[in-house]
Amino acid sequence: MATRRVDVEHAVEDIRHRTLSEIPRSLDRLIYLASMRDYNTGLYYHDGLASRFTQEVACQALADCHREAFNQLVSCSLRELVGQMEEYIRSTHTSPRNFVTAWRKLEPYRVAVPVETDPVVAHFLFSSFKIALAVLEARLRSAQSEPVA
Amino acid sequence: MIQLIFFLSIGVLLFASLFFLARRNPRPEGSSGALIEARQALTALQGGLLPIEFVHRVFAPDDWEYVRSEAPAGVRSLFLEERKKIALLWVDQVRRQIRSLRHFHRGSARSYARLNPRLEMELALSFAGLAIACRLLQAVVYVGGPFAAPRLVNAMAGAASHACKISEQSLAFLNAAQLGVLNGPSTGRAAV
Repeated sequence: MATRRVDVEHAVEDIRHRTLSEIPRSLDRLIYLASMRDYNTGLYYHDGLASRFTQEVACQALADCHREAFNQLVSCSLRELVGQMEEYIRSTHTSPRNFVTAWRKLEPYRVAVPVETDPVVAHFLFSSFKIALAVLEARLRSAQSEPVA
Repeated sequence: MIQLIFFLSIGVLLFASLFFLARRNPRPEGSSGALIEARQALTALQGGLLPIEFVHRVFAPDDWEYVRSEAPAGVRSLFLEERKKIALLWVDQVRRQIRSLRHFHRGSARSYARLNPRLEMELALSFAGLAIACRLLQAVVYVGGPFAAPRLVNAMAGAASHACKISEQSLAFLNAAQLGVLNGPSTGRAAV
Protein backbone atom coordinates (compact mmCIF):
# COMPACT_ATOMS: atom_id res chain seq x y z
CA MET A 1 0.00 0.00 0.00
CA ALA A 2 1.38 3.42 -0.96
CA THR A 3 2.33 5.78 1.87
CA ARG A 4 -0.11 8.69 2.08
CA ARG A 5 1.46 12.17 2.03
CA VAL A 6 -0.98 13.38 4.70
CA ASP A 7 0.21 10.67 7.10
CA VAL A 8 3.83 11.61 6.45
CA GLU A 9 3.04 15.27 7.17
CA HIS A 10 1.39 14.29 10.47
CA ALA A 11 4.43 12.19 11.36
CA VAL A 12 6.75 15.11 10.51
CA GLU A 13 4.71 17.37 12.81
CA ASP A 14 4.88 14.70 15.50
CA ILE A 15 8.66 14.36 15.38
CA ARG A 16 9.09 18.15 15.25
CA HIS A 17 6.88 18.61 18.29
CA ARG A 18 8.15 15.71 20.42
CA THR A 19 11.83 15.46 19.53
CA LEU A 20 13.26 18.20 17.32
CA SER A 21 11.87 21.01 19.46
CA GLU A 22 14.31 19.80 22.13
CA ILE A 23 17.24 20.06 19.69
CA PRO A 24 17.61 23.74 18.80
CA ARG A 25 20.71 23.64 16.56
CA SER A 26 20.52 22.36 12.98
CA LEU A 27 23.95 20.68 13.35
CA ASP A 28 22.70 18.57 16.28
CA ARG A 29 19.50 17.77 14.38
CA LEU A 30 21.46 16.66 11.35
CA ILE A 31 23.64 14.35 13.42
CA TYR A 32 20.65 13.00 15.36
CA LEU A 33 18.58 12.32 12.23
CA ALA A 34 21.52 10.77 10.37
CA SER A 35 21.97 8.40 13.32
CA MET A 36 18.39 7.18 12.78
CA ARG A 37 19.42 5.84 9.38
CA ASP A 38 20.63 2.29 8.82
CA TYR A 39 23.86 2.50 6.82
CA ASN A 40 23.19 -0.83 5.13
CA THR A 41 19.74 -0.06 3.81
CA GLY A 42 19.48 3.74 3.88
CA LEU A 43 16.16 3.39 5.76
CA TYR A 44 15.33 5.40 8.89
CA TYR A 45 14.06 3.72 12.05
CA HIS A 46 12.29 5.24 15.05
CA ASP A 47 10.29 2.81 17.18
CA GLY A 48 8.08 5.43 18.84
CA LEU A 49 7.15 7.08 15.57
CA ALA A 50 6.61 3.72 13.84
CA SER A 51 4.24 2.62 16.62
CA ARG A 52 2.15 5.79 16.24
CA PHE A 53 2.13 5.61 12.42
CA THR A 54 3.68 2.86 10.30
CA GLN A 55 7.32 1.99 9.68
CA GLU A 56 7.04 3.30 6.10
CA VAL A 57 5.49 6.62 7.18
CA ALA A 58 8.06 7.02 9.99
CA CYS A 59 10.89 6.39 7.53
CA GLN A 60 9.64 9.02 5.07
CA ALA A 61 8.97 11.55 7.83
CA LEU A 62 12.50 11.14 9.22
CA ALA A 63 13.95 11.47 5.72
CA ASP A 64 12.00 14.74 5.23
CA CYS A 65 13.23 16.10 8.57
CA HIS A 66 16.78 15.06 7.71
CA ARG A 67 16.66 16.98 4.41
CA GLU A 68 15.22 20.00 6.22
CA ALA A 69 18.00 20.00 8.83
CA PHE A 70 20.60 19.62 6.08
CA ASN A 71 19.18 22.58 4.12
CA GLN A 72 19.10 24.71 7.27
CA LEU A 73 22.75 23.92 7.97
CA VAL A 74 23.79 24.66 4.38
CA SER A 75 22.13 28.07 4.55
CA CYS A 76 24.06 28.99 7.75
CA SER A 77 26.93 31.46 7.47
CA LEU A 78 30.42 30.28 8.38
CA ARG A 79 30.26 32.28 11.61
CA GLU A 80 27.04 30.46 12.57
CA LEU A 81 28.53 27.07 11.68
CA VAL A 82 31.60 27.70 13.85
CA GLY A 83 29.29 28.82 16.69
CA GLN A 84 27.14 25.70 16.33
CA MET A 85 30.23 23.49 16.37
CA GLU A 86 31.52 25.15 19.56
CA GLU A 87 28.14 24.55 21.23
CA TYR A 88 28.08 20.98 19.98
CA ILE A 89 31.58 20.30 21.36
CA ARG A 90 30.48 21.67 24.74
CA SER A 91 27.40 19.42 24.71
CA THR A 92 29.50 16.29 24.07
CA HIS A 93 31.78 17.00 27.08
CA THR A 94 34.79 16.06 24.94
CA SER A 95 38.07 17.92 25.00
CA PRO A 96 37.88 20.48 22.14
CA ARG A 97 41.36 19.50 20.98
CA ASN A 98 40.45 15.80 20.77
CA PHE A 99 37.19 16.63 19.06
CA VAL A 100 38.83 18.78 16.37
CA THR A 101 41.53 16.16 15.77
CA ALA A 102 38.98 13.34 15.47
CA TRP A 103 36.69 15.29 13.15
CA ARG A 104 39.57 16.34 10.93
CA LYS A 105 40.78 12.76 10.61
CA LEU A 106 37.48 10.85 10.45
CA GLU A 107 35.32 13.49 8.74
CA PRO A 108 32.14 12.00 10.30
CA TYR A 109 29.98 14.69 8.67
CA ARG A 110 30.39 12.87 5.34
CA VAL A 111 27.95 10.17 6.42
CA ALA A 112 25.41 12.70 7.72
CA VAL A 113 24.25 13.82 4.27
CA PRO A 114 20.73 12.80 3.12
CA VAL A 115 20.46 10.62 0.02
CA GLU A 116 19.97 12.31 -3.35
CA THR A 117 21.66 15.49 -2.14
CA ASP A 118 23.15 17.48 -5.01
CA PRO A 119 26.90 16.66 -5.04
CA VAL A 120 27.89 20.35 -5.28
CA VAL A 121 25.78 21.21 -2.21
CA ALA A 122 27.21 18.24 -0.26
CA HIS A 123 30.72 19.26 -1.28
CA PHE A 124 30.00 22.82 -0.11
CA LEU A 125 28.97 21.59 3.36
CA PHE A 126 32.04 19.34 3.67
CA SER A 127 34.21 22.27 2.67
CA SER A 128 32.51 24.54 5.24
CA PHE A 129 33.13 21.94 7.96
CA LYS A 130 36.78 21.75 6.94
CA ILE A 131 37.16 25.54 7.19
CA ALA A 132 35.21 25.70 10.49
CA LEU A 133 37.49 23.03 11.98
CA ALA A 134 40.54 25.02 10.83
CA VAL A 135 39.12 28.16 12.50
CA LEU A 136 38.50 26.23 15.73
CA GLU A 137 41.96 24.69 15.67
CA ALA A 138 43.55 28.12 15.15
CA ARG A 139 41.58 29.45 18.12
CA LEU A 140 42.69 26.56 20.32
CA ARG A 141 46.30 27.10 19.29
CA SER A 142 46.18 30.83 20.01
CA ALA A 143 44.48 30.20 23.37
CA GLN A 144 47.25 27.76 24.28
CA SER A 145 50.03 30.16 23.31
CA GLU A 146 48.55 33.08 25.31
CA PRO A 147 50.43 33.59 28.61
CA VAL A 148 48.43 32.76 31.75
CA ALA A 149 47.67 35.95 33.72
CA MET B 1 16.12 -4.06 -70.67
CA ILE B 2 19.15 -2.48 -69.04
CA GLN B 3 17.14 0.73 -68.58
CA LEU B 4 14.31 -1.21 -66.88
CA ILE B 5 16.74 -2.89 -64.46
CA PHE B 6 18.32 0.53 -63.78
CA PHE B 7 14.96 2.20 -62.94
CA LEU B 8 13.82 -0.82 -60.92
CA SER B 9 17.06 -0.63 -58.89
CA ILE B 10 16.49 3.08 -58.23
CA GLY B 11 12.92 2.29 -57.13
CA VAL B 12 14.09 -0.45 -54.75
CA LEU B 13 16.77 1.89 -53.39
CA LEU B 14 14.20 4.63 -52.76
CA PHE B 15 11.88 2.19 -50.98
CA ALA B 16 14.74 0.93 -48.86
CA SER B 17 15.69 4.53 -47.93
CA LEU B 18 12.10 5.30 -46.98
CA PHE B 19 11.93 2.13 -44.89
CA PHE B 20 15.11 2.99 -42.98
CA LEU B 21 14.06 6.62 -42.47
CA ALA B 22 10.70 5.50 -41.11
CA ARG B 23 12.42 3.05 -38.76
CA ARG B 24 14.92 5.64 -37.48
CA ASN B 25 12.20 7.63 -35.67
CA PRO B 26 9.38 5.22 -34.95
CA ARG B 27 7.48 7.64 -32.64
CA PRO B 28 5.16 10.05 -34.40
CA GLU B 29 5.14 13.71 -33.31
CA GLY B 30 3.19 14.18 -30.08
CA SER B 31 2.93 10.48 -29.22
CA SER B 32 2.00 9.99 -25.56
CA GLY B 33 5.25 8.24 -24.61
CA ALA B 34 7.37 10.92 -26.22
CA LEU B 35 5.42 13.73 -24.50
CA ILE B 36 5.74 12.14 -21.07
CA GLU B 37 9.45 11.49 -21.55
CA ALA B 38 10.01 15.06 -22.77
CA ARG B 39 8.23 16.52 -19.75
CA GLN B 40 10.22 14.31 -17.36
CA ALA B 41 13.49 15.29 -18.99
CA LEU B 42 12.65 18.99 -18.69
CA THR B 43 11.66 18.65 -15.02
CA ALA B 44 14.91 16.79 -14.25
CA LEU B 45 17.00 19.43 -15.97
CA GLN B 46 15.24 22.30 -14.23
CA GLY B 47 15.63 20.59 -10.87
CA GLY B 48 19.34 20.23 -11.57
CA LEU B 49 19.91 23.99 -11.47
CA LEU B 50 20.70 24.88 -7.88
CA PRO B 51 18.54 27.45 -6.05
CA ILE B 52 19.75 31.05 -6.11
CA GLU B 53 19.95 31.09 -2.28
CA PHE B 54 22.63 28.42 -2.43
CA VAL B 55 24.56 30.35 -5.09
CA HIS B 56 24.46 33.44 -2.86
CA ARG B 57 25.72 31.33 0.06
CA VAL B 58 28.73 30.07 -1.94
CA PHE B 59 29.73 33.56 -3.04
CA ALA B 60 28.70 35.32 0.22
CA PRO B 61 31.24 38.03 1.07
CA ASP B 62 30.30 37.89 4.79
CA ASP B 63 32.01 34.49 5.11
CA TRP B 64 35.19 35.95 3.65
CA GLU B 65 34.93 38.99 5.98
CA TYR B 66 34.55 36.63 8.94
CA VAL B 67 37.59 34.52 8.02
CA ARG B 68 39.66 37.61 7.25
CA SER B 69 38.93 39.14 10.65
CA GLU B 70 38.98 35.98 12.80
CA ALA B 71 41.48 33.54 11.32
CA PRO B 72 45.23 33.44 10.62
CA ALA B 73 46.76 33.49 7.13
CA GLY B 74 46.75 29.67 6.77
CA VAL B 75 43.00 29.45 7.31
CA ARG B 76 42.40 32.41 4.99
CA SER B 77 44.21 30.71 2.14
CA LEU B 78 42.39 27.42 2.89
CA PHE B 79 39.07 29.28 2.73
CA LEU B 80 39.86 30.91 -0.62
CA GLU B 81 41.10 27.62 -2.06
CA GLU B 82 37.99 25.71 -0.90
CA ARG B 83 35.52 28.34 -2.14
CA LYS B 84 37.31 28.50 -5.45
CA LYS B 85 36.85 24.74 -5.87
CA ILE B 86 33.12 25.00 -5.06
CA ALA B 87 32.66 27.97 -7.39
CA LEU B 88 34.32 26.10 -10.26
CA LEU B 89 32.21 23.01 -9.52
CA TRP B 90 29.05 25.12 -9.63
CA VAL B 91 29.97 26.81 -12.93
CA ASP B 92 30.77 23.41 -14.42
CA GLN B 93 27.44 22.02 -13.25
CA VAL B 94 25.51 24.95 -14.78
CA ARG B 95 27.41 24.46 -18.03
CA ARG B 96 26.54 20.75 -18.13
CA GLN B 97 22.88 21.37 -17.30
CA ILE B 98 22.54 24.01 -19.98
CA ARG B 99 24.25 21.77 -22.49
CA SER B 100 21.78 18.97 -21.68
CA LEU B 101 18.86 21.38 -22.01
CA ARG B 102 20.19 22.54 -25.37
CA HIS B 103 20.53 18.95 -26.62
CA PHE B 104 17.03 18.24 -25.37
CA HIS B 105 15.61 21.21 -27.33
CA ARG B 106 17.47 20.20 -30.46
CA GLY B 107 15.86 16.77 -30.18
CA SER B 108 12.44 18.30 -29.47
CA ALA B 109 12.66 20.65 -32.44
CA ARG B 110 12.86 17.62 -34.71
CA SER B 111 9.85 15.94 -33.10
CA TYR B 112 7.27 18.63 -32.36
CA ALA B 113 5.64 20.92 -34.89
CA ARG B 114 4.05 23.01 -32.12
CA LEU B 115 7.33 24.55 -30.90
CA ASN B 116 7.36 28.34 -31.25
CA PRO B 117 10.20 29.38 -33.61
CA ARG B 118 10.58 32.78 -31.90
CA LEU B 119 10.98 31.19 -28.45
CA GLU B 120 13.34 28.57 -29.83
CA MET B 121 15.48 31.35 -31.35
CA GLU B 122 15.46 33.23 -28.02
CA LEU B 123 16.52 30.02 -26.28
CA ALA B 124 19.33 29.42 -28.74
CA LEU B 125 20.65 32.93 -28.03
CA SER B 126 20.31 32.38 -24.26
CA PHE B 127 22.23 29.12 -24.50
CA ALA B 128 24.99 30.73 -26.53
CA GLY B 129 25.24 33.67 -24.08
CA LEU B 130 25.31 31.31 -21.10
CA ALA B 131 28.02 29.14 -22.62
CA ILE B 132 30.21 32.23 -23.07
CA ALA B 133 29.38 33.52 -19.55
CA CYS B 134 30.28 30.12 -18.02
CA ARG B 135 33.67 30.07 -19.74
CA LEU B 136 34.32 33.68 -18.74
CA LEU B 137 33.35 33.08 -15.11
CA GLN B 138 35.51 29.95 -14.97
CA ALA B 139 38.51 31.97 -16.15
CA VAL B 140 37.79 34.87 -13.75
CA VAL B 141 37.35 32.57 -10.72
CA TYR B 142 40.42 30.57 -11.67
CA VAL B 143 42.62 33.67 -11.90
CA GLY B 144 41.01 36.09 -9.44
CA GLY B 145 39.39 33.76 -6.89
CA PRO B 146 35.74 33.17 -5.89
CA PHE B 147 34.93 36.79 -5.04
CA ALA B 148 36.40 38.38 -8.15
CA ALA B 149 33.20 38.83 -10.16
CA PRO B 150 30.04 38.94 -8.00
CA ARG B 151 28.02 40.67 -10.72
CA LEU B 152 28.90 38.04 -13.28
CA VAL B 153 27.83 35.31 -10.82
CA ASN B 154 24.44 36.95 -10.29
CA ALA B 155 24.03 37.58 -14.00
CA MET B 156 24.86 33.98 -14.83
CA ALA B 157 22.53 32.52 -12.19
CA GLY B 158 19.74 34.81 -13.43
CA ALA B 159 20.38 33.95 -17.07
CA ALA B 160 20.36 30.21 -16.34
CA SER B 161 17.01 30.42 -14.57
CA HIS B 162 15.68 32.68 -17.38
CA ALA B 163 16.72 30.08 -19.98
CA CYS B 164 14.81 27.45 -18.00
CA LYS B 165 11.72 29.68 -17.94
CA ILE B 166 11.82 30.19 -21.72
CA SER B 167 12.30 26.46 -22.09
CA GLU B 168 9.22 25.91 -19.93
CA GLN B 169 7.19 28.34 -22.08
CA SER B 170 8.45 26.74 -25.24
CA LEU B 171 7.27 23.34 -24.05
CA ALA B 172 4.05 24.64 -22.47
CA PHE B 173 2.06 22.24 -24.61
CA LEU B 174 3.52 19.44 -22.50
CA ASN B 175 1.28 20.56 -19.63
CA ALA B 176 0.09 18.37 -16.79
CA ALA B 177 -3.54 18.26 -17.95
CA GLN B 178 -2.53 16.98 -21.34
CA LEU B 179 -0.20 14.43 -19.78
CA GLY B 180 -2.99 13.43 -17.37
CA VAL B 181 -5.16 12.55 -20.36
CA LEU B 182 -2.28 10.77 -22.00
CA ASN B 183 -1.60 8.81 -18.84
CA GLY B 184 -5.14 7.44 -18.96
CA PRO B 185 -6.05 3.84 -19.76
CA SER B 186 -6.21 4.47 -23.50
CA THR B 187 -2.45 4.84 -23.78
CA GLY B 188 -1.67 1.93 -21.51
CA ARG B 189 1.17 3.84 -19.82
CA ALA B 190 1.32 4.58 -16.11
CA ALA B 191 2.35 7.97 -14.72
CA VAL B 192 5.69 7.94 -12.95
